[in-house]
Amino acid sequence: MAAPALVIYVLIVIVPLFQSVWYSFWDWNGVPTSTAEWVGFDNYLAFFTEPQLQQAVLHVLVLVFFFALLPIAIGLVSAALLGRARVRGAGFFQWILFMPQVLTMVVLAIVWRRIYAPQGLLNEALRAVGLDALTRSWLGDFDWALPALGFIGTWVGFGLCTVLFMSGVAAIPSEYYEAARLDGAGPVREFWSITLPNLRGQLAVALTLTVTGALRTFDLVWVMTEGGPGSSTVTPALLLFRNAFQNGNVGQAAAIGIVISVICLAIALVITRVVEGRDK
Amino acid sequence: VISRTERYLNVAILTVLAAIVLVPSIGFVLAAVSPSSSGAIDLTDIRWDNFVVAWEKGEFGRALVASFSITIMAVVVQTILAVMTGYAFGMLRVTGERILFPLVVLGLMISSEVIVIPLYYTFRDLHLTNSWIGLAILQIGMGVPFGAFWMRAAFRSLPGEIAEAAEVDGAGTWRTLWTVLVPMVMPAIITLSLLSFMWTWNDYFLSLIFISDPDLQPATLALGSFQGKNSLEVNLMAAGSLIVAAPVLLLYVFFQRHFIKGVVAGSLR
Repeated sequence: MAAPALVIYVLIVIVPLFQSVWYSFWDWNGVPTSTAEWVGFDNYLAFFTEPQLQQAVLHVLVLVFFFALLPIAIGLVSAALLGRARVRGAGFFQWILFMPQVLTMVVLAIVWRRIYAPQGLLNEALRAVGLDALTRSWLGDFDWALPALGFIGTWVGFGLCTVLFMSGVAAIPSEYYEAARLDGAGPVREFWSITLPNLRGQLAVALTLTVTGALRTFDLVWVMTEGGPGSSTVTPALLLFRNAFQNGNVGQAAAIGIVISVICLAIALVITRVVEGRDK
Repeated sequence: VISRTERYLNVAILTVLAAIVLVPSIGFVLAAVSPSSSGAIDLTDIRWDNFVVAWEKGEFGRALVASFSITIMAVVVQTILAVMTGYAFGMLRVTGERILFPLVVLGLMISSEVIVIPLYYTFRDLHLTNSWIGLAILQIGMGVPFGAFWMRAAFRSLPGEIAEAAEVDGAGTWRTLWTVLVPMVMPAIITLSLLSFMWTWNDYFLSLIFISDPDLQPATLALGSFQGKNSLEVNLMAAGSLIVAAPVLLLYVFFQRHFIKGVVAGSLR
């Protein structure tokens, strides 16, 4: 009974996976009639020699800060501040906070393009408070385009993290807090010794979702800046797309894909390992 | 004991957080019905016909038909396959389950970036690029791991005697599955099909690679090229965005809990 699904799974996922590994050792321009040249690990070594790829890797680190660390920090602070009180209408708030998760990235890109535009909301707001000097074309600025894109990730992710951590805190037995209070723990110690350790599971989920999201960023960059200005917002997934479907450098693209996947896999494994290890 | 101040403080914090999400969103919705193409909001002159203009200019009618066709094919087939695999791995003793199931779940960790390149060349040779069926097949194949994982867990949570009792009554496994067991795991099936709907509808990356014919492109791609051409008409872009986002948003209004539960479980994807 599992056979139909297994067949399609093998054809769509497993076979191409091995093909991709194979492609990554060749220099091939994607034209069926052209010949490919065996280049060994050159396409992987490009991560150490190609300036654009190195840039893309650096950009991912910046995006991890904005997509993962910042939203998780915001989520933890709000969950800690909210504490264990049951708020009337919590479901309604959760509905709003989670909403960016169900919107497609193209729509989010258009929402934020309006805000970052030269005559957009952000510049208007800055002018209104007299900070005219800070206004700029956010997406056209070599230094600010990447943080501007990153901040969209923060906006999308902080609600998810908050909802996750709120539900996690609600599941912590209240005796833990009572015991801590008897020991004379203040709110800060209470957070570090009770709230945080008991949110391990939720932290793992939040980290996996947001970090892999940052690593795989494509839609947002493609629609908003196409990697520009210059190459100030290129990401590995963007270079994969360009190499495979625009510049005819299929082997390089395959190598980028393999590296993205291996890193995602490693992150997922490390995160679950750390969480389970602490559980014992 | 929770004091009154603490309760007010909590509502205040949540209100601030919600406002951070809502202010850009509401501003966007209002811009969509405003006359100014700069995206400025003007509520004295509400233009509902922005939606009509955007619909025509962006050819969203055709794009929505494409999206609905691809999504419905993907959701239906994905769900049926997931029920069958989940049942096989969760309740029947399938030979080789110990090896097969981990192999399938491993697929949760394979990101689509790594497989699209060879798939593109294979599909091109099979004339499955520029094809709604081709795109649906991709979504179905990539959805197998999550479907199997999700439905196996659902069947595992049922008491084992139920299937046995039905079989004693003389119903075959196939009939037992669809008439007795499926109704019992309905909540899990609903969550799965909602997620599958959202993931397929919201896809941009796969569509961009596999559909190059503008006449065949789904709504997300159509919106992308619409904003490329009309980036100076912010109100129309906003209206177009709302048209494209509407189906998933509507489902989200009615099935909020399913989405939250599923996305959290989907972190394993």
